[in-house]
Amino acid sequence: MKKKEKPSISFKDKALELLPKNASYNACLTCGLCSSGCPASNLENMDPRKFIRMAMLGMDKELAETPWVWLCTQCRRCHHVCPMSIDIAQLVFFARGLWPDEKKPAGIVRSCQLTRATDSTSAMGLPPDDFVFVVEDVLAEVQETQPQFKNLKAPIDKQGAHFFVNQNSREPMSEPDEMVPLWKIFDYVGADWTYSSKAWAAENFCMFSGDEAAWYEVIKKRVDAVNNLGCKVWLNTECGHSYFTMWSAINRFEMDADFELQNLVSCYAQWIREGKLPVNSDWNTANITFTVQDPCQIVRKAYGESIAEDMRFVAKTLVGEENFIDMQPNRSANYCCGGGGGFLQAGMTEHRRAYGKRKYDQIAATQAKYVLTPCHNCHSQIEDLGHHYGGNYHVIHFWTLICLSLGILGENERTYLGDDLIALID
Amino acid sequence: MKPTIRHIETELAIIGTGMAGIAASIFALNRGISCTLAGNTGALAYTTGYLDLLGFYDGRFLDDPWQGLKNLKESNEKHPFADLDPAQIRAAFAEFTSFISDIGIGYTNPEDTNLQAITPAGTIKPTLCVPRTMAKGVRALHEGASCTIFGFKGLKGFSARQIGANLKATWPDIQAKIIAFPGHESGELYAEVAARSLEVPGTRALLAELLLKEAGEAAYIGLPAILGMHNPDSVLKDLEKLTGLSIFEIPTMPPSVPGIRLREIVEQTLPKRGMNLVPQQKVKKIDFGKESIVLQLSDNFGPIEIKAKTALLATGRFLSGGLEAHFDHVAEPLVGLPVHQPPSRQEWYREQYLDGRGHEIHLAGIETDQYFRPLNKDGDVFDKRLFAAGIVLAHQDWIRQRCGAGVAIATAFEAVKEIRLLLKK
Repeated sequence: MKKKEKPSISFKDKALELLPKNASYNACLTCGLCSSGCPASNLENMDPRKFIRMAMLGMDKELAETPWVWLCTQCRRCHHVCPMSIDIAQLVFFARGLWPDEKKPAGIVRSCQLTRATDSTSAMGLPPDDFVFVVEDVLAEVQETQPQFKNLKAPIDKQGAHFFVNQNSREPMSEPDEMVPLWKIFDYVGADWTYSSKAWAAENFCMFSGDEAAWYEVIKKRVDAVNNLGCKVWLNTECGHSYFTMWSAINRFEMDADFELQNLVSCYAQWIREGKLPVNSDWNTANITFTVQDPCQIVRKAYGESIAEDMRFVAKTLVGEENFIDMQPNRSANYCCGGGGGFLQAGMTEHRRAYGKRKYDQIAATQAKYVLTPCHNCHSQIEDLGHHYGGNYHVIHFWTLICLSLGILGENERTYLGDDLIALID
Repeated sequence: MKPTIRHIETELAIIGTGMAGIAASIFALNRGISCTLAGNTGALAYTTGYLDLLGFYDGRFLDDPWQGLKNLKESNEKHPFADLDPAQIRAAFAEFTSFISDIGIGYTNPEDTNLQAITPAGTIKPTLCVPRTMAKGVRALHEGASCTIFGFKGLKGFSARQIGANLKATWPDIQAKIIAFPGHESGELYAEVAARSLEVPGTRALLAELLLKEAGEAAYIGLPAILGMHNPDSVLKDLEKLTGLSIFEIPTMPPSVPGIRLREIVEQTLPKRGMNLVPQQKVKKIDFGKESIVLQLSDNFGPIEIKAKTALLATGRFLSGGLEAHFDHVAEPLVGLPVHQPPSRQEWYREQYLDGRGHEIHLAGIETDQYFRPLNKDGDVFDKRLFAAGIVLAHQDWIRQRCGAGVAIATAFEAVKEIRLLLKK
């Protein structure tokens, strides 16, 4: 039997297609700003500069096979600092797509398969009925045990609601009480919102598996679900890549979306500015210090400085300007934590932690006690880095701190608080 | 879902984020002019951190750049410096360095003479101002004091041995040592990574231990420029406190930490003072309407339109795309301004690359009037709202003359003064 040829592409041709007008690879000085600013440099004896030079030399076979493409999180920091705007992350996407499924990291492939397995589009495979059950069950418990919230709502499939809210599967699957603070915030500001029983899930590892068709299929389900409910806004929860996969796919595949996309962080900022969310830092009498992590997928790769600014505005309002310490570098120039791109699901723990050492150093340099981040992958990775490298910090969602400031954080919603914060609210 | 165009209105649009662009932003902010800065990663990240005014002219290195300016004025009346008052150039440098010092990167003040500073290759160059973290290197070299230069395993673009060997003849009491950077036993060590990790107190303590062990009797310690990224002066101070040694930095080859420091501090600080920043994006189109100058560009999120009352072209030369080399001519691609250049490609270069007289192509650029307003092909002002600053200007060979930062800072200063007058009208 003839041995099946591995699929291959010319990385040089792809790279040339991606090059902005008037730019030229001849003008690449091989200066190394890309590699110098890349946390994946040195891993598997590869870095972004080598990658692009190998593409120029026609080393397509080597690039199609290097496992480094699974250690690059496609965070686009190399592109951000490149004087020639060379999009190495996109080449990595193509390279990932060349791998046969059986050789790709099993965790990413499995997550994509599960996402496609149900109408939920949940990477953890939670079916629509189970999601609805969990939401209703948790809601009933809150209504019963927290008298202040006996009229709290968590609408599902509400036709014509303003916000279509998505949900990372981790909450309904593993920590359902973590959904409650967000419901309380919606209640507080009087938002007209709904979950959908279909396509409610946020995460999308099909994009990270390099499978363009599967990526499209998942986003198509989500776009259809929002269109069908007639919602004005698809509101992305505190999850970074879910925003990017949706926003980027709608543009990339020119999909008919009759709605706007918004990120929760900017809504928090808007509600605070409008006085609907009267949070403040009065609770922080112990001057506990905080920093924020900029999720690449919503900051550098999407909204840029405006959302980074919103995030800092919300954080400073919540914890007090004097208790906020920015990590360096920050905003669009911040480093990826190493949890993105499917890294957390890929099972390459040693590499993932080596990648995350820079993030750990950034946090350690701030000496902050808490890291706020509106992204689940950042959250998990930064927590793991802290445990691994001996960091003396906690990682916390914005919704937790908002409810804490409003004095409405329930007993079961305090998983991520350290003893110092618990002491302040008890 | 339609992409929405984001609109920015501004008094001054600065195109280019290199030395001239950031200098212009600083001068504009200090004068209460609302400004917007847009441009791709400039060559700023390649700087050593040294700010040259005029280091080489008429075949020799200059100790006194101010006297050099006078000589230059007499022999090259088209040089961007030619119409400038040296007192104003000094004021421009002083304003620039004090601003940068205030926001977190200490710089020495402009003095009457050039400083003799150590280059990454271990040669010596005259320059006007240096980061404070490098100032003791100037002193140590001047004194010929006993000094150990440390290199780090895996750090390319910085050879302590090369620096030691090159300086040995004029500085006998210099020696070189190579050590491992704390926590980095193998593979390539990037200066940027080392600098950021030295912002962690624990890493500084480990490096201090190593330096103490290896320093011997040296009065000074020279290190590659890796002492922190956003507060180098305190990192240096802490390391000196931990070791009791006198320490200075020497620039590394690009991409260098001093350049990244400048870029990051400017990107973080200037927006807080009211500047609009569109980072890492090139302006794609510029139209000169009756009411305003309209600039178009886009970032990851979509299109942006800037409406400006005035604009400053600080787009650099070939590396940054301010000038474009075609087969038989050089063009200015954004506005389409005429470019001063050799009449034919044959005359771009002399036969020997290292010819002491330099090459004609290195004098190519935009011609302006005395207020730095670009001229059209008839020699008239192209548009009275458009200005140009920095090395996109013709008739200066900034690499050979060691005047890159000087041209950027001095011409940005003059252009912003004129812009202010125009906006007042």
